[in-house]
Order: sequence, then C-alpha cells, then structure tokens
Amino acid sequence: MPDSIDRSIEITRRRFLAGSAMAGFAAFLAACGTQGTGTAAPTGTSGTPATPPPSTAPVETKGVEATYSAELNWANWCCYLDVDPNDDTKWKTLEDFKAANGTTVNYQEVIDENEGFVASISNQITAGQDPGWDIIVVTDWMVARLVRLGWVEQFSLNNMPNYVANVRDVYKDQDWDPTMDHHAPWQTGMTGIGYDPTKTGELTSLKSLFEVNSKWKGKTEYLTEMRDSIGLTMLALGLDPRNPTRDGADQAVAAMLKARSDGIVRDVAGNYYTEDLVSGAAVLCMAWSGDVVGLASDAPNIKFLFPDEGVMFWTDNAVIPKGAVHKGTAELMIDWCYVPEHQAQIEAGISYVTPVKGVKELYEASTDQKALAEDPLRFPPAEIEPKLVQFGILSEEDEKYFNEQFAKVIGV
Amino acid sequence: MGATTLERAGPQPRPDVGVAARARRFVDRYLLFAYTGLAIIYLLLPIAVILLFSFNNPSGRRNFVWTEFSIDAWLNPLGIPGLASAVTLSLIIALVSTLVATALGTLMAIALVRYEFRGSRLTNALIFLPMATPEIVMGASLLTLFVSFGGPPFFPLSLFTILIAHILFNISYVVVTVRARLAGFPRHLEEAAMDLGANEWATFWKVTFPLILPGIIAAALLAFSLSIDDFVITNFTSGRTQTFPMFIYAQARVGVPVQVYVIGSIIFLVAVISVGLTTLAGRRQAAKDFEPIRKM
Amino acid sequence: MQRRRALIPYLLLAPGLLWLLFFFAWPLVQVFVASFWSGSVERGYSFSLSNWVNYPTAIEPVLPHVGRSLLYSATATVLTLLIAYPLAYTIAMRGGRAKNLLLFLIVAPFFTSFLLRTLSWKILLGDSGVIFGPLKDAGLLPPEFRVLATPMAVVAGITYNFLPFMTLPIYVALEKVDFRLVEAARDLYAGPWRRQGTVVGAIVGGGLVAGLALAFGWSPAIPTILAALVGAIIGRFLISEAFVRVTFPLSLPGVFAGSLLTFIPAMGDYVNAEFLGNPDSRMLGNVIQNRFLTQNDFPEASALSFILMGGILVIVMIYTRVLGTDQLTQSRV
Repeated sequence: MPDSIDRSIEITRRRFLAGSAMAGFAAFLAACGTQGTGTAAPTGTSGTPATPPPSTAPVETKGVEATYSAELNWANWCCYLDVDPNDDTKWKTLEDFKAANGTTVNYQEVIDENEGFVASISNQITAGQDPGWDIIVVTDWMVARLVRLGWVEQFSLNNMPNYVANVRDVYKDQDWDPTMDHHAPWQTGMTGIGYDPTKTGELTSLKSLFEVNSKWKGKTEYLTEMRDSIGLTMLALGLDPRNPTRDGADQAVAAMLKARSDGIVRDVAGNYYTEDLVSGAAVLCMAWSGDVVGLASDAPNIKFLFPDEGVMFWTDNAVIPKGAVHKGTAELMIDWCYVPEHQAQIEAGISYVTPVKGVKELYEASTDQKALAEDPLRFPPAEIEPKLVQFGILSEEDEKYFNEQFAKVIGV
Repeated sequence: MGATTLERAGPQPRPDVGVAARARRFVDRYLLFAYTGLAIIYLLLPIAVILLFSFNNPSGRRNFVWTEFSIDAWLNPLGIPGLASAVTLSLIIALVSTLVATALGTLMAIALVRYEFRGSRLTNALIFLPMATPEIVMGASLLTLFVSFGGPPFFPLSLFTILIAHILFNISYVVVTVRARLAGFPRHLEEAAMDLGANEWATFWKVTFPLILPGIIAAALLAFSLSIDDFVITNFTSGRTQTFPMFIYAQARVGVPVQVYVIGSIIFLVAVISVGLTTLAGRRQAAKDFEPIRKM
Repeated sequence: MQRRRALIPYLLLAPGLLWLLFFFAWPLVQVFVASFWSGSVERGYSFSLSNWVNYPTAIEPVLPHVGRSLLYSATATVLTLLIAYPLAYTIAMRGGRAKNLLLFLIVAPFFTSFLLRTLSWKILLGDSGVIFGPLKDAGLLPPEFRVLATPMAVVAGITYNFLPFMTLPIYVALEKVDFRLVEAARDLYAGPWRRQGTVVGAIVGGGLVAGLALAFGWSPAIPTILAALVGAIIGRFLISEAFVRVTFPLSLPGVFAGSLLTFIPAMGDYVNAEFLGNPDSRMLGNVIQNRFLTQNDFPEASALSFILMGGILVIVMIYTRVLGTDQLTQSRV
C-alpha cells in the first residue's frame, strides 16, 4: 500500500521536473543568463555548486534485500568481463546472474575514455533524469570528481554483504570515499614501463625515459593520461605523486617538455602505443600492465618493468550514477561479482589485479589455473607492494591547473 | 581572343591525324586508364590490408602482426558479444538517415539553385556551418537539447536521437553535392518540355530528376559513408545503444578482434559486388534490347 | 498563381531548413552563450558580456595550431584536388557502363571504420614495414626516416580520408558536360595541346612544392625542380586547350563543391593528427577536444569553436568571390 502511494508521487515529481526543465529552457531564452538548466554544460546559479535535484528513481525497497528487476543497464570498458567459452556472443557471468535471479543485463562496452563517457551522461544527471545506466565503471580520479559533485548514488551496504566482506583492505585507505559506499573497485591496473630489452638493454629506472640515449632517442612514448605521465615523471624526479603539488606538476611538465625538445619523445599516445611497441617504432614507453600481457604472444620480446622508483597504480571502479532506475539490482550485481568463485571466473579472462579477497587461493587450489596464481601482473608479489603508488586526489582548481600544464606536453 | 582567332584562320592541320593527335589518343586511352588504375589501388590499399588480416589468426588479442592463415573468423563473424546488434544498428541508421537527408537536402539544393529569394545568403551560411562545427561541440549541444526536452519517457536517447543527429550533419553534404550537379544546369530542356505541354510536376520527374540523379546518388553515397562511420556525435546521442564505430573504438583499447575485420570486409564486398552485378545486368539487358536490331 | 510560385522555394526549403534551425542553429546559440561564461562546473557559470575576453584568451596561445590547421587542410585540399580530378574525369568521360561500379569502388572503402583504415595505413607505412623496410634495407632510405608521427602523415591521412568527398562532386559536374562542346573546341583550336601550358605548369608545380617545403620544413631545392619539371610536362602534353577553355570551367561547380567538402571538415579534424601525428603537429580540433573533454572548460571550447566557424565562413566567402558565385551556385537560364 505505502509503495503505490510513493510511486505515484515519484511519477508526478518526475513529470514536474521534466516540465520545469523545459520551463527553465524557455526562461533561459528570456534571461540569457546565469542559470541554465540544460545548457551546454551543467550549471547552477553563480556561487552554488551544480547539485542535481533529488533522485527521482523509484526506490525499489527500503529493506535488507532489494528485489531483482527484470533488466539492468551496465556500461563498462572493453574486455572487463568473461566471455562464455561455449557461446562467444554472451558473457558467462551475466548468463549465470540471469539464470540465478532472472535479470537480463543490457551490458554494453561503450566506455573508451572517462571524460567522453561522463560527458555523455552529465546533462541527464544534472537535469535529474535517468542517466541511462545503472552501473558505470570509471577510474578513481573520476569517481572522486563524481562523488564531489554528488553524481553517484550511495550504496545500501546491507544489500552487498559479499562486497563488504571481500573487498581487499588496500582499497579502504583513501579520503574521497572512506566509507566505501559510493564505489566498488572493479579491476586495478599498473602503469610502468613497457620496453624491448633486446633493443634497449636491461633497464631499471624511470630516469631512462628522460635520458638522451641513441638506443631509444626518438623511440620513446609517454601517455596522454595525465596522472600516469605526471605521476611517473614525479617519481623519476624524486617527488611524491601521493601528494601532488603545483610545483611538482611544473617540474614534471618541464622535464617532459625538455625530453620532447631533446628529441627523445616520438609521441604522447593513447593506448595505441602498443602498436608502436610491436612494430618497433617505439622501444620504450610508459605502459599499462594489462596491455603488455596482451602483447606477450605477438611480441614476446616486449617486457613490463616495475621501475626502482615506483609504479603508478589506478583502479577502475563500479559506481551507480545518480538517478539510476535499478539501483537495488545494481548493488546485487556488483555484490555477485564480489563472490570469490564468480570473481575467479571473471579474473581468468582479464589480466588486471583483482580487488576481491580469496581469488588467489582459489586458483592455487584449482587443478588447471595454478599458473594464474603466479602471475605477477594479476597478483603483484609482496616485494612490489611498497612500490605501488596511487596519484593523490586533486581539488578542482588543482586538477584544472594540472590539465592545463599537461596539455602543453600533449601539444595542445 | 580576336587576334588569336584571326591568326588561326586559314589552312589548319586536321585534328585527327599527326603526331599530336596520336599522342592525345594515347594519353586518352592509356595514360588516363593507368592513372585511374593506380588511384583505385591507392584507395583500396587499406581495404586489401583489412581483408588480408581478416584471415589472420593472431595469437593474442591485437591483430597487427601476421601470424597464420585461418578462416575461423569468417566462419564465426558475429562471435563477439555485442557485435551483431552494433552492426545492425549502424546499418539501419545509415540507411534511414541517408534516405531522409538525401530527400531533404535535394529539395534544399533545388530551392537554392533555381530560385532567388530573400534569405538565401543566410541559408547558405547555415548549410556550411554544420560542416565547420567541431563534432564534439555539435554532439554535446545536441545532447543538451535532447535532455532539455525532458528525457525518458518523453524523449529517450536511442535510435531516434541518433537518427536526428545523423540526418542533421548529412543534410549539408547532400546540398553541396547536389548543387554541384544543378549549377549550370541548362533550363532550356525543361522549358522545352513545358512548351510541349508537361506541367511542372511531370517536367520535374521526367526531365529534371533523371538528369540530376547522378548528383543525388553521389550525395547519398557520401551521406551513407559519413553516417556509418560516425563516432563522436553518435557517442553523445546514443543513450543505451551502441553503434559499430562505438564498438570498435571501445574494443581498440584491448585490440580490435578479427571478426571486426571480417565484418568490415563484408560490408565493402557486399557494396561493390552488388553494384558490379547491377552493372553486369545492365549490360546484358542492353544487349538484349539491341538484339532485334542487330538481327535485322 | 504568382503568389503560389513565390512560395515554392520556401516550401522546398522548409523541411531541411527547419531541421537545421531546430537541431543545429538553436543549440549553437547556447554554445555561443556559453562562450561568454566564466566559472566552472562545480562552482557554476555566470554569463557576462565582459567575458568577451574569453575569445582572445582562448586563441592567443594556440595560434600555431590555427596556422597548422590552415596549412594541413589547404595542403590536403590541393592534393585531393590533384588526385581526384583526373580520376573523376576518366570515370565521367571514359567510364561507360562501369561508371557506377567505379564510383562505388571509390566510396566503399569509406564504409569501413576509420580506425581500421588508419591501422592499415600504419601497418603499410610502418617505419620498418612492407614499404619502408625493404627500402631501408636496400640503403635507399636513411634508417631514421619515418612517415608516421610526422605532419606528412597527418596530411596524407586527411587527403586519403577526404578523397571521395572531392571526387564525387567533380564527377557529377563533369558527367553532365556535353561532350560535343569539347569536340567542337578541339576542332576550333589548332592542335590539341596548350602552348603556354609548359610555363604555367612549371610555375604551378614548382610553386606548390616550394611553398609546401618551406611550410613543412624540408629543403626546397630538389623537390621544387622536380615538381617544376613534372608540372611543365603535364602542362605541355596533357592539358589541352579544349580542356582549359571548355571542360574545366564547366566542371568548376564540382571543384568548388569538392574543395568545400574537403577543406571545411578538415579544418576541424582532430583524429588524423591524434593517430598519425606527434605533439608538434596537433591541430585546432585537438585543442578544442582537449578544452572540452579533458579540461571541461566549456567557455574556452565554445569560444574556440566559434572562432573556427567564423574563420571558415570568412574563407569560404573569399573563395566564393574569387571563383565567381553565380557560375557556381545558380543554374543557367
């Protein structure tokens, strides 16, 4: 009984908001001014942050268990889920979830970069509309920004017992979501050096990226990902990316620009540096661990280096965007993936670091997956742990400053 | 001009004989064809590589090193989750948006070329501006517009919104292309038709339309290629759906699978082979049409 | 009846024009307004006319990028024209029944994904790939020679990707040329070859390459001489008087359309510079991409977009004037 009354209020409220969005648009015509709901960027009146109106998503239940809705919309990056070996047009985990709970998951691998993807849903969120997705997976610095803006839902942790129990402790120590109820780590990757030892010789230090050496002059590549490039450069300069300062950014950018003018750098690239590594056009790159694993068979001479100074690590996280229609089922889906057996199935096909406890033990106990337990890129050995560095979270002004300075390195 | 023609009056070398004329025929016949052959090879080189690598069996995920020949991907071209629906969606969008944009654009082109009216300058600017607008600005501003209509359930981002966006950017290209055909178009044919009693409608369909048809077809081809490969604008307006270019860009992070190369090859081959068959059928039909005359 | 006639152009225009006005012009007004904002996503934006300074502030540090966009787009347009014109000519004049097939062969490669095509070119033009590898092994090229990650690759990419947009409009304009006019012209002018073609061809060829070399930073001497020679030969032996006086002017609407369809989008292009270039060869499109997506600086991105659009409109106006409007956009009565 109470539910149906709630629901009718929800629907009226949604209609009202939609109407007011249109009215706001019209008012914009007249005022041409400071508040524009639905203008080219999320806005607010000057001085107030752009918080969206209260969520109009129908709340499924307010109890211990959420119900499973008929469908769920999940946007993710490519190749972050296991494909069914018997039917390669389906994902096994989603099939299992559907068989157990009846939910059809509309899973789309549409994310190819954080900013572009969030830009495609930010208007909806600030207008209080359904963003279109119930789960999205974005990198931690983007999660921090979304939390700051109020664009993600808060988990009902009593719906997610497996998540609470099995998320590894290393993820709990951050200041942008200390209660761990706005994001769930999905996979962790590392950024280090990808190189061809047959051409460069054995390397151990990040400083090589900035050295003029005929073996890799003009064949070095940096990454367009600001936090990876500036982070590794700071490490090379002896600075600490965990506490990034503007001065540190200046030094890092200056070092990279000098490397460019010295002729060391061939390009500042997105993930197609792998093509250059394989073709030999580049022999020394800032590289992502998962990519180098993928190259192993095509180019066995390419190796991933954990440099002396340290390795950047970053995590892609599952979050529920504000206004998602199937919030409860989203929580249950995430929780499903945090069951160690389910995660082991997922992890077998991905070459990143899993955030779930107990997976390594499962591999060790298995008959045919023991090799996975030994993989340093999936389970970094204990001596690597202290080298893993996460880029500190930046304030809005600092982030803008860092991006502006780094734009010079990219050439824009 | 006057002096030159006076000088040239008098006995002239006959244009059909002589070294110069033979050289011109040589150029016309062989050089131009050789050049065209080279140009077509240049255009098709990447397609040849794509076709070749569709038969590759890469050991890893990335498909840019030739490993071994295999037809596995051809036997299972849709064997990646999400691929089939992305391709279908892209084809439907391309076909529909091409049809609508070609129709709208042709009408606009006719109006702009045939008639003088107030606002033609402004309309011209409005035609060029979409081509000049950075795609990301166009995509983002369209998204803002759609969201301001209220979003679901009133205005869901979906196939519908993608179509609106694609038709939008295609119109300009159609107008410019059809106009190239219409400009300098001799009106006397139409006037003759109308003198002979045809009304405007019949004149248009029987005289004008067949003559501008190559322009319309060319415009449609360009619009189709723009739509089927659009990424940025589609990314903003696609909502929960995924088109083929979006699929490829997302896959590129880890490595575009071989099946995508297969689908790309299939699209190319289907297009070319179907036109090839139509051309052959046209030849045979023409031969059949002429048979009674030849037999006479 | 007279009033009905006057309405016809508006009726023809209406559907397309309304579409453009509603889905393009109206959102564009918003973008224009956004270019006068100051503030940020989190703090909110405020509109003020005094924010016109956004425009000079946005463009001043990226003037080199504007120059590069102009240079690369103009070069690519000229190259595309040179490649496409003879191709369109042959198909239109000599294509016969295979015309449609040839047209499809030209356009069909562009039905496949840009990423796949670019990846294929990268495989072909790789530093030690199928083309350059053997050449380097044979000692014909220095080992550090490369095409990828240079401005040359960017221009080559733009040229390739816009080739059908230049070829098809020229084709449709040429195809309607009445060949009897051309024959008559050939009969009228003594000999098929253009006498002054040698000089003009040499100047055009040499000038083009010299300008390119200076702009891209190569040494101009040898390429200019070679280009002048090639230009002279083409001018002397391959361009006939009939072509210059009859065929080419009749095909001008196609050349005009093709160059617009190439130059205008190329100015805003960013993908070619991103995938085929290096940090020293980014274009204005890359800047706008960065300001919009990475820096979330909507006012700056909007201002830059409007400067780009305004600049393009001005260039198009000048180009139209130079070529003569009526001939290109009106029908002969």
